[in-house]
Amino acid sequence: MAEEQKQASAPGGAPRREGGSGGHGGHGPGGGHGGPRREGGPGGGGPGGPGGRPRGKRQYFRKKKVCKFCVEKMDFIDYKRADILSQFVQERGKILPRRMTGVCARHQRWLGVAIKRARNIALLPFAGSASGTQAPRVVVPGAPAVHVAPVVPAAVAPVAAAPVAAVESPKA
Amino acid sequence: MEERYYDLVFIVRPATPEDEIKKILTVIENTCAEKGAKIEKTEHWGTRKLAYRVAKHREGIYVHQEIRTNHGELITELERRLRVQDNVIKYQTVRLDEDLKRQKKLTLKREKRAARRPRRTTPAPAPAAAAPAAPEQAAATS
Repeated sequence: MAEEQKQASAPGGAPRREGGSGGHGGHGPGGGHGGPRREGGPGGGGPGGPGGRPRGKRQYFRKKKVCKFCVEKMDFIDYKRADILSQFVQERGKILPRRMTGVCARHQRWLGVAIKRARNIALLPFAGSASGTQAPRVVVPGAPAVHVAPVVPAAVAPVAAAPVAAVESPKA
Repeated sequence: MEERYYDLVFIVRPATPEDEIKKILTVIENTCAEKGAKIEKTEHWGTRKLAYRVAKHREGIYVHQEIRTNHGELITELERRLRVQDNVIKYQTVRLDEDLKRQKKLTLKREKRAARRPRRTTPAPAPAAAAPAAPEQAAATS
């Protein structure tokens, strides 16, 4: 019983990550962000949640997304405010679509311009460039799964992996 | 020509001493003075991490200025001089006056609408809303 419960609880954490990375396609490094964001607010809840399962209208109550800029009544999006802009950009610098962030059409248009200006002056990364300040983490761009893999098995199957390691290490 | 408003951000190498930055700033000032432009604001953001490598640097010192001018050629001249500076690794000038104009217009519009709205809507619901709100507040405080 205890084992079953453990197994049930452990994967409970893992599928979320898998769902997140699968839905986004290469959003691997952002997985860490997904958790807190989802709980966070309307602005952050978008990028993580709806990407995973668009179907299941009844199962999930989706909070209505409101344009953050409309709420704050911003008539001008400053490209110098990298802290604001980075909320609407993936980890690697891709601009998030409106359907994920809930930004209204007009503000998304301005946002795009602002993000591009910020990129030019190195406040935000270009989507394609794997180099940059996070270079060590993004060395292998094509394989976020490989990066995630060593983490996930440890979390999913501690029962399977850990004992082996435990047994092996004393022998060695 | 109509007056224009520009934003200038430039990045200098992280190891640049203060004097060098000041020199660059004086160069900009002189250029602006020649063309009769006015520097509205100068902001030092200090050392910041760059989002990607620029000239093999991962960090840079950011300086931000706002310039008001009547002559667009000033910007080409400014950029030419910044390009010559060895310590400046990146710069960007953005024309802002059109955006600011639009912003002003929209803000005005919003204010107008906000001013108009209360006259129509508040008289009726306001007393009704105020009445139940007051006891709640009283309850909350007690």
